[in-house]
Formats: sequence, C-alpha cells, structure tokens
Amino acid sequence: MRRLLLILKNDILRHLKAPVAILLYLIIPIAMTGLIGMIFTPSSKDNTLPPIQVVLVDKDKGLASRLFLGAFDADQMKKMFQVTVADEAEGRRRMEKGKASAMVVIPARFTLDVLEIKPVVLEVVKNPAEQFLPDVVEEFMNTMAVMLSGAIQAFEPEARGIRLMLDGPIDAFPWESLGPEFGKAQKKVVAAEKYLNPLLIRLQEEKTKAVGAKAFMTRSDIFSAVLPGMAVMFLLFIVQTVMRDIISEREDGKLRRMLTTPLRPGELIGARIAGGWLMGFAILLVMAVFGTLVFKAYWGSPGYFLLLAAVTAFWTASFFALMNAFLKNRNQAGAISAPVILAFSVFGGSMLSTEAMPKAFQAIGLATPNRWFIDGAALVREGRFPAAALLVLAASGLILLFLAVPLLRRRSTV
Amino acid sequence: MLPGRILWYDAFTKEWNMLEIKNLTKSYGDLLALDHFSLTLEKGEVLGLLGPNGAGKTTLISILAGTVRDFTGSVRFLGHDLFSDRNLKNRLGIVPQDMAFYEELNAMDNLLFWGGLYDVPRDALKKRAAEILERVELSGRMKEPVKNFSGGMKRRLNTAIGLLHRPDLLLLDEPTVGIDVQAKVSILDLIRKVGAEGTGVIFTTHQLAEVENTCSRIAIMDCGRILAQGTMEELIRLVGEKDIVEITGNFPAASFTEALQDLDGNGIELLSAADNLATLAVADTEQIPKTMDRLFRRKLAVTDLKIKTPSLETVFLKLTGRSLRD
Repeated sequence: MRRLLLILKNDILRHLKAPVAILLYLIIPIAMTGLIGMIFTPSSKDNTLPPIQVVLVDKDKGLASRLFLGAFDADQMKKMFQVTVADEAEGRRRMEKGKASAMVVIPARFTLDVLEIKPVVLEVVKNPAEQFLPDVVEEFMNTMAVMLSGAIQAFEPEARGIRLMLDGPIDAFPWESLGPEFGKAQKKVVAAEKYLNPLLIRLQEEKTKAVGAKAFMTRSDIFSAVLPGMAVMFLLFIVQTVMRDIISEREDGKLRRMLTTPLRPGELIGARIAGGWLMGFAILLVMAVFGTLVFKAYWGSPGYFLLLAAVTAFWTASFFALMNAFLKNRNQAGAISAPVILAFSVFGGSMLSTEAMPKAFQAIGLATPNRWFIDGAALVREGRFPAAALLVLAASGLILLFLAVPLLRRRSTV
Repeated sequence: MLPGRILWYDAFTKEWNMLEIKNLTKSYGDLLALDHFSLTLEKGEVLGLLGPNGAGKTTLISILAGTVRDFTGSVRFLGHDLFSDRNLKNRLGIVPQDMAFYEELNAMDNLLFWGGLYDVPRDALKKRAAEILERVELSGRMKEPVKNFSGGMKRRLNTAIGLLHRPDLLLLDEPTVGIDVQAKVSILDLIRKVGAEGTGVIFTTHQLAEVENTCSRIAIMDCGRILAQGTMEELIRLVGEKDIVEITGNFPAASFTEALQDLDGNGIELLSAADNLATLAVADTEQIPKTMDRLFRRKLAVTDLKIKTPSLETVFLKLTGRSLRD
C-alpha cells in the first residue's frame, strides 16, 4: 500500500510538472461549452423573452370582446402578450413583417351569439414564420374560450336577460334593471366557486406550460445540458493520457526497473488504475466547479453528482487499463484511442443530442460511458437518483477491471 | 521481519558464495538465450561479462532482476533462492541499459521515488539521495529537470538509482553505452569503488578496455554459455603466447580452410574462417610469409593483414571466432 501511494504521489507530481496536455484537455471542453452556450441562447440579459405580439381584430365590439381585451390587459398577461387592436388586413401585414406572432379575430355578433348560447368560433391566425409563439397564443385563447363557455353555460338565464336588455339602443339601456340580475348571479358565483376555481387553476397550468416553452432554454440551461457531454468526452482523453503510462513505461524500461524492486505487479497495476480514476474524478470536479462558477451551470444534488462522477471515472480508468493491456506501443495507443473516444462521443451524445439520432445510433450509444453519464447528469439535474447509470457504469467498469488486471500482469513480465 | 532475516542471511554469507547460478537455461521460442549457464560471485568481486550481441548477457541480467520468467536452473543469492523472497530484492541493485527514470522530474525527486520503492527508511532516504548525488557528481544539478541533462549525466543518475538502497549485489547492463569518455571514466571509477566497498558487481559490456581496467574477474560468454572466465592474466594464458593474425581479402571460406589445412604442425592454428575474413593464431611470426605464399599460390586475394599481440581481444577472438564488433 505504501508503494502504491508512492507511485500515485509520483504520478501526480509528474503531471503537475508537465501539465500542458491536461490543461489543454481542460480548457478545450470549457471553451467549447462557452461557445455553444453563446451561440444557442438568446442575447437578452435576463434570459426571458419579450412579450408576444398579438393583433386583436374586434369585429364584435361588444361585451364579450371587451372581456377578451380585458383579459389581455391584466398585469400578468401584459408581461406575456402585447396586444394591438387593428383590422384584419393590418393584422396580416404585421404578421408578414414579423411584427406579430398571431392574430385573434373576434367575429361580428360574437357577444350576441354568446348570450344566446349559440356556438361561436374564435379565429386564431398563426404566423407561419414563427415556431412556437403562435401556439402559446392559441393555447391562451383556448383557455379563454373554455372559461367563457363555462361561465356562459353556468349563467345562462342571466345571459338571456342581459341579451334582451341589449335589444334596445345602448343609451336606452336599463342599467337599473341589472341589479336583480347581478343579485341572482352572485348566488351562482358562490355556488359555482369550487367549479370555477379549477378553471382558474387550469389557466395557470396553461400559463406554466407556456413559460416553459417560452424560455426555450436559458443560457444556464444550455451550459448545464452541454457541459456534461463535453466533460465526459475530455475525461476520456485525459484518463487515456494518464493511463498511457502503462505503455510508455513498458516501452522505455521504467516498468522493468520498477519490477526489480520489492514492488508487486498488483501494486503497480492498482496504482495505475487508481491514478487514472483519481485524475478523472478530479477533472470532472474541476469542470463542474468551473461550469457552476462561470456558466452558472446547474448540476442538481452534489452528492448524486459526485457519485456519478466517481463511477464514470472508475469506468474510464478500467476501460483504458484494458485497452492499454492489448496495445503494444505509444503509437498504437495514439492511433487507436482517439478514434475510440470520438466514436464514444458521437454515439454517446457528447457531440449530438441522442434524441436527434437514428434509433440504431441511440442503441449503440448505450454502450458508451458518455451516454450514461449525460443521462445520469440530466436525472441528477431533475433531482432524481441516477440509479440505472450508476449500476451500468459500476458493473461494466468492474468487468473491465477484472479483465484488465490479469492481462496487465502477464504483460509486465516476459 | 525483514531486518532480522537479513541479519540471519549475513551471518552465513561468508560460508557461501554471494551469488550462485546453476544450469540456467532460457529459450525464446527456438532461440536458446541461456544454455545451462553457471556462475558464482564472491562479495566485493567485480565481474565483467563480455560477449557479442545476442550472447545472452541481457537475458541473464533480466532473470536475476526478476523481469524474465519461465527458465530452468537455480539462482541462490546470499544462500537463498533469489526468487523465493521478495524482500531479497532490497539487497539487489539494478542499472538497466535503458535510462529508466522520469525526465520531467529532477534528480532528487527521481531518487526519492525510486529509493522509496525499496525499504529504505524514510528519514534516511533523503540523506542517502544527497550522498549518492554527490558521489556521481550531480549534487549541483539535483533540482534541475533531468530532461536538461547530458547523456553522461543521465547515465550517472541511472547508476545512482541502482546504488541508492546500498545493495549487496549490483547488476549493470551496459552502463556506459552512448556516453562520452569523461562520463565513462566516472562510471567505471564508481563501479571499482563500489566493489572495493564490498558490493558484488556484475556488469555487461561490449568494451574490452572497460573490463580490462575495471574488473577483478572476466567472463566471456557467447550463445548463452560462458566460454572462459578468470582474471585478465588467466584468460591471456588461455591463448598462450600466440599472436593473432586477421586476414582480409576476396576469398571463399572453404578455399581458405583448404589452403591451410595441413599447417597445424607448424604452430599455426585456424581460429575462424568466413568468406573474405579469417583469423589465425600464430606461435612464430616467421610462419606468416609461408602462409601468405600458400594463399597466393591458390590465387586467393589478400587485401589486408593485421597482427595482434595477446590481449583480451585476442582471447575473445580465439574463443568466439569473431570480434566484439561483429
């Protein structure tokens, strides 16, 4: 154990004295994450979208259409929508110029038809040049329609009373007769409260959904999603740089010299694998801390993340121990390890989102540490325990280790 | 545990040879690298192992160092089977042919690391490292990365690592390859001093001059066997007082042999004959013109002729039939 620790200490000292390769492998993923984050996130400083531009074409100009306008005018809605009242032609022009995401057309006789409990159609014209903001408007209007329909059906007698009052000219409207109608309505409102409240809550739910969509992904979200993929890709490069000592020491005679001392081959192999694991774990931690401080990346539970990082680094060290047991020299290691790491990264989701890949590629990705680390990190971000990722990485890492140790023992003597 | 055992070994060491190798045989496939190789070494003896490439020198050192397995025969070190007790490695120092140390570290850090792999007490290690650096004349550069060292300095550091734990037996595999004369002299001087202090030394080399001036005993090996061993004087007596004549020309080996086949009675001994190169041992130099006459009569062209007085080189030529350069 003393000798194992001595080798570990010596390895760390050596890598600190010649840190260029490791520093490069640390800087590159961080820089790449930074670039990706900068490119794919909106430029506004508060990471929120500006209000959605909506054109309201009011062909009705009645009570019900005012209700819609009033709804858009509420404080919370103002943050989400900016409504311009215009005619239909102007509305279409604004959409063509990209100045509106959707146009809501309230048809003529809308109020009267509603009060007569007739089916009415609200028209939402979506700007085809935009992807999802028009959908937000549509969802909002659906919600409003549901609420209004519910309200009208609940207050049908009162609605009919009001409809009769509207038959005369507006200046002859019998305002004093509204008192008894509102008195009756009040009792229904009290009785219907428990049914109406869910509708309000439903509106809130729709709004929440819209907010999630609204944000697309904030810059911090992008960093949080991209950094694990980059981190695990360069973890592979760094651990292989460290584990390649197995080959270089065999080539330049240091391994033979070590085995002339009382050092046991098992201690040496243990030191090499522990060194790769420790270095990998440290690198993941450095990237995580750096990502948190610089990119405000969010990792979720620190305990779960540490566990995932430790198990991923263990898998990586075991894998490269096995690979280097087969390889003959440094040139071979250089020629083989880079394509292997790149293949892991492509199929495992470090370079492309796995969702964007064909099913076959996604299946191949399951054989890579990248995929399990990225998926595990996503679960940890959501506050969940990454049980499957930990199990797969730990079990396969142990299998790789059990295969690597006897092979390395055999390669250490002639 | 370990100190007790070592004291126990020491009590009996005087009764035994420090190192006793018997019938060591090792093959790499069809190639016989060591062929029933036997050798003994006394405490403080410096043995030069001389042989051409492929003679089996490095295989022998590797077996003793424990890095080559699957051999037959026995090796007893300090009265015990060398491979039965890992702690015996604490008493064995190896200086490999490779520059086996970390170039990115400085000399002191290298010594502390390599010394740490042996059971040298931690508090003594730094002191010993400083002492050995002084001894190999590197103390002024101990904090400098080894990659900045010259070839000779690296060789000296390589040797220092093998000596740091004060071994009873030091094995050096071609310790002077590829270095300048000054560094070579320094290393050979160190080997002599180490031997004089009681450490047994075996070192392999191609260089005749190195063993002539450094070793108390010389063993000449080829094809995995020792052909002859003894002091310098003993070995020279082996070839008698005969001069060695090396003839170069344009002739087939068979024709050369045929031309001289009945000359044995005249004090001429054919040591080796290859195409265009032959070696003779000649008791009387007056026989040389007669020999040349025979060759000319048979129209064998001779372009060069060298006469060498008895030396380690002539011994080597006589025993192996080829020079160390071959």
